[in-house]
Amino acid sequence: MAGITVTQAAFSLSDIVKIFPGVRALDRASLEVRPGEVHGLIGENGAGKSTVIKVLAGVCQPDSGTIIVGGQRIASATPAGVHSAGVRFIHQELHLVPHFTVTESVFMGQELHGSLGLARRKMRRLAEAFLRDNLGLDISGNRLIRDLGTAERKLVQVARALIDGAAKAVIFDEPTAPLANEEIEMVMQAIARLKAQGIAILYVSHYLSEITDICDRVTVYRQGRTVGVFDEISDASAGELIYAMIGREISDMFPNKGARATGEGLVVDGLSDGAHFDSVSLTVGKGRILGIAGLIGSGREELIDTIYGLRRKTAGSLRFDGETLQVATAAQAVAQGIVLVPRDRRNDGLVLPMTVAENATLATLEANSRAGLIDARAVGDATTALIDSLDIRPPNVDAVTRLLSGGNQQKVVLARWLAADARVFLFDEPTVGVDVGAKAEIYQLIEDLATKGASVILSSSDPVELLGVCDQIVVMMRGRVAGEVAASDVSVDNLVAAITGAAMVEGFANAR
Amino acid sequence: MRAEARLSAWLSDLVGYLPLAILIGVLAYISLNAPNFLTLRNLELVLMQSLPVVLVCAGLAVVVMAGGDDVVSGGIDLSIPATAVLSAGITAQMLTLGYPLALCAVAALVACLVVGVINAALVSRIGMTPLLTTLAMFVAVVGVNNVVTASRRINVDHPWILALREAEIGGMPLGIVLVVMIVGTLFVAAHQTRWGLNLQAAGGSRDAAEISGINPGRLVGQSFVVAAVTGFVCGFFVLARGSGSSPGVQDNLMLEMVLATFLGAAFSPRRVVTLWGAVLGAVLVAAISIGFKSMGVNVFWTGLIKGSLIVVVVAFSAMAQRGR
Repeated sequence: MAGITVTQAAFSLSDIVKIFPGVRALDRASLEVRPGEVHGLIGENGAGKSTVIKVLAGVCQPDSGTIIVGGQRIASATPAGVHSAGVRFIHQELHLVPHFTVTESVFMGQELHGSLGLARRKMRRLAEAFLRDNLGLDISGNRLIRDLGTAERKLVQVARALIDGAAKAVIFDEPTAPLANEEIEMVMQAIARLKAQGIAILYVSHYLSEITDICDRVTVYRQGRTVGVFDEISDASAGELIYAMIGREISDMFPNKGARATGEGLVVDGLSDGAHFDSVSLTVGKGRILGIAGLIGSGREELIDTIYGLRRKTAGSLRFDGETLQVATAAQAVAQGIVLVPRDRRNDGLVLPMTVAENATLATLEANSRAGLIDARAVGDATTALIDSLDIRPPNVDAVTRLLSGGNQQKVVLARWLAADARVFLFDEPTVGVDVGAKAEIYQLIEDLATKGASVILSSSDPVELLGVCDQIVVMMRGRVAGEVAASDVSVDNLVAAITGAAMVEGFANAR
Repeated sequence: MRAEARLSAWLSDLVGYLPLAILIGVLAYISLNAPNFLTLRNLELVLMQSLPVVLVCAGLAVVVMAGGDDVVSGGIDLSIPATAVLSAGITAQMLTLGYPLALCAVAALVACLVVGVINAALVSRIGMTPLLTTLAMFVAVVGVNNVVTASRRINVDHPWILALREAEIGGMPLGIVLVVMIVGTLFVAAHQTRWGLNLQAAGGSRDAAEISGINPGRLVGQSFVVAAVTGFVCGFFVLARGSGSSPGVQDNLMLEMVLATFLGAAFSPRRVVTLWGAVLGAVLVAAISIGFKSMGVNVFWTGLIKGSLIVVVVAFSAMAQRGR
């Protein structure tokens, strides 16, 4: 090589390729983070952000590409090697022991010893000093983790990664997802302090407003590729970033919206669960599809669970056509015609070792029984009809659901509720892990439900899906309804801007 | 929202103290109805009686600290009392056959270590649930002991073993002094060393421990071996207390061990199983057993009452956890 290029990067990854069975998770992705900068990494779900972090951490070996840490090329990264090179990871999960003290948590796995056992006093002094001086958190080392707020816990987690003083680069993975608005500032200030010490910071987040606030440079991934590196970031950058992230048009995989029934349908009034969301009000008329958009931690999942009776509500009420619904358990929800197609269909939606017929009729065994005994023929007939109408493949009532594809499994979940004759359908991320063809079929099924007069709620992290399927979209942000808009009145860019908090967009009615 | 959270934390604190309050209530009731209960002489008797339970509780506490305090999926070792009885059975049988005490002890130790290592391998290598693994080991080890002793009582009058019950050192009973030393050593290891903190981290959150570079599987394995050693030592105190080995001791020992160890969590300010909490629990449970006896309560009723106390203790600790 002619001459040695002096790299000023704390670490860099170039042209990383990582192929999982059937998926090119990373397709020549690159990333370069310099000392003393906060570098943002953004992209939609599945763009390759988590995979690139795993590659850097040495948890996942790339198929090709170059990794350079601190000027040294690393042939094959191992977790221990990367750690000793000074790269630290702040995972999204806190991974703290609730009944440990702050001191014990900070020094977990790296406890200090004196001549007479643990040097508890010294560890406490060091932990308190580190938290105060480096992260701006003045707290007693004797407090228990379970008595701390989420932001304080986050900073304890950061302190654990940095207490040895050898950190040169820190990767924050969605650090603010579980935090309330007023707590975010604490974490932001801590990151600013680390930056001032010359530490390189990679900041991975879905919250574009945070990215434009805190980052000096931003790398954007789409479908495993680097589609842009932005050097000058200001509040005005959000539009460019969103365009780089989405980069696609609404495809023709969505059904045409048909004529809709009328009627008040489901009204959710001032619903709260006391922790994840507060005073949420929604109306889903008969024959309407309401989308719920929001980031992880927006309270979207918990809202759906609460409407279905899986979580206890602390305030608010549910009505259907003016009649108040009592939903304290899922059994009550089903009895009153509210059904859920859950996000984790493999664990919550299906009994995998059972057959299609058994799963499809699980909620309607009463109707298919005579004198307390299950009528096998009735079950078979009912299932055959459902298999026909949903086009479940293979069209075999005795097929074991474990062996079905993701899309067909989802149809079996749906079949159960069609059999149960529900009037409100809740869909929570119905197309995660489903291939494109099956997605289109599921969208058509949702549209059919609405055409037949059901009230449908679709909670999804895919903005394109929401726009393509829904009539109306509610955006949730940190537990509250941030706005509501007709799907026909908003573009993907504007919807993403609203979801990520980059901007409050015209056309959005403000929260009630 | 905040105020509600504080109220529920306060309530769960209160619920956490209930098992302790109930026990103290029971003890107060006993001392009112059995006038001799609160004499110094009687309290020494309580301590002496509690020694075998104290030892197995210390062992179980280490296992629970490493595996977590969820009674079903966390760390538990039901086989410790069986190990103790096996240790007693082997020693008694070999003494009867004329072997020297030191050789008997070595044989018993080896047998107990084998049990501990099998537990460790099944749980941390193969990944079996500790509850099922150690329950099966309990049955198997009691079976082995029945073979060794032909399921009959064997008297032991070896002076060194009886010394555990009768000898005094500096005015204190030798047995109590020895157990205090053993438990003290375990306490330092579990609460004052790096190993101990890592053990608690493994039990508190397996993921957190792993991310911090701790190997939880190894610590869980080690905890089973430590537990087996406490079972081995306990065997000699069982011999001393009963002047020999008799079949069936293990059942009551297991009941009191589980009760006392999880009861001990109520004494800890962090509401978790600790070594000293378990030991204190063991002494309290022994006090209740003896108290009922001195009140003249029917033995069968004592069983029912102890069983109910387990239910109450576990129920309240579950409620206290849920409040968090």
